[in-house]
Amino acid sequence: MSFLSLISIEFHKIRRSKILLILLTAAVFLWLPAIFHGDVSFRTSADFGILPENNFMIQGFLGMSWFMFPAAMVVCTVLLQQTERNNHGILKMLALPVSTVGLCLAKFVVLLCLAALQIALTVGMYYISAAIVSHTQNYPFVLPLPFVLREAGLIFLYSIPMLTFFWLVSVCIQTPIFSIGIELASIVPSVLIINTKLWFAYPMAYPLFAVSNEYGRLASAMTPSDVNLTPLLIVALSSSVLCLFLSCLRFGKYERR
Amino acid sequence: MNLGLEFKKTKRTGLIPAFAAGGILAASIPILNMAVRAEMYTGLVAAPVQILLDANWSIMSMLNLLLITVGATLLYHAEYENNALQKMCSLPARESGLFFGKFLLMILLCAMTLTLEALGIAFCTAHWFSQSAGLSAGLCTEILQNFGYELLLLLPAAALSLLLASACKNMWVSLGIGVICVFIATILPIGRFVPSLFPFAMPYRLLAGTAADIALAIAALLELSAISLGEIILIKIRRSLT
Repeated sequence: MSFLSLISIEFHKIRRSKILLILLTAAVFLWLPAIFHGDVSFRTSADFGILPENNFMIQGFLGMSWFMFPAAMVVCTVLLQQTERNNHGILKMLALPVSTVGLCLAKFVVLLCLAALQIALTVGMYYISAAIVSHTQNYPFVLPLPFVLREAGLIFLYSIPMLTFFWLVSVCIQTPIFSIGIELASIVPSVLIINTKLWFAYPMAYPLFAVSNEYGRLASAMTPSDVNLTPLLIVALSSSVLCLFLSCLRFGKYERR
Repeated sequence: MNLGLEFKKTKRTGLIPAFAAGGILAASIPILNMAVRAEMYTGLVAAPVQILLDANWSIMSMLNLLLITVGATLLYHAEYENNALQKMCSLPARESGLFFGKFLLMILLCAMTLTLEALGIAFCTAHWFSQSAGLSAGLCTEILQNFGYELLLLLPAAALSLLLASACKNMWVSLGIGVICVFIATILPIGRFVPSLFPFAMPYRLLAGTAADIALAIAALLELSAISLGEIILIKIRRSLT
């Protein structure tokens, strides 16, 4: 079976899972405070020397990358694991002449697509809320699409190492409370870690670091930290490859004892 | 009997070690914070417990809330997993008894987590704020008061996440809704009374020694009874539909 048809099968499995509804609800709640407090952007723009429209966008993305996006991805890993474990679907999949590595990677690709979907929904909701706030505040808050897509793409790229880690944990740890607990607990310290020099050693902090660094770049009163690409790339690439390799190795091992 | 049964069900789910680990993790936050930058806090003029809670409680209560959400989801997941719920419903017992049994268990687990956190705070006070003369009786009552109050404020969130978990058959749906609720609590304005009535925002409040404390405690009790009533109605509706 080709890899593409494996991926399409995985998408079929989650068709009736209501995950889209959960991701959409998350994106809607993310922008609600920004709509209600449209005037805040003017105050922070004076304090930090950032354009109100930029502040509006970055604040929303900050809220997303700090907790909402990683937590939604944890929910997605739970979804991908539990759809198979309910009614022992995974046993049937493993009995088929399909490579387990392909199965594991196909599921990870689905996770990547769900991450992209969550970011796309956030961008979509950004445009709706920016249009509403432009109307209520009489100030053009809507930014050009290429600029917003660049920020969104940056968040997606920076989140890949985090997603591989979440995937590894959900594959390796069979007891749901420990896998979910570890994943959720690993999100919380990222807000402390981005302020340290060793932020690049902690993949869960990457998306938040990327957005807060963009804030520093757009605000004239703040200096963005120099991103030293070499250690970042080394850690990010090696940890992602290691996590993916280990999860492929461990996938289905528990069921085939 | 209910509580004992629910306790037995958690045997292989890892729920109790998970709550203990969560409590230890949350308790280590003030200790780590003090170990790294004690000089920022020891100079402040206030009661040591108050300083420590002000500095660390938001992250600690977020961990508590995440723990409760996951715990509640898994308590009901155990029932849904192999259609155990159907068997429970065919027994000569009240269906709502299941919810209240789980809720009692949840109270005990929350109390355990909060006790561990209280020990963490007590350790910090004794170790870094030596001018308060070690662990005096006054300090113990202060910590007990604060954490007893936090336990009460944690209960509406525990009941609500159990209600959500009992309503959704699929684990990711209840977990997803729970996570969104935790997120909503983080974006609500802090310190004002009306937003903190949201069950998931309530645990962020601290004992401030004002009239709002008692009002919030009464609100927590009212919410608890409303959520319990909601669960009973949910069971009735579901039974009439299936």
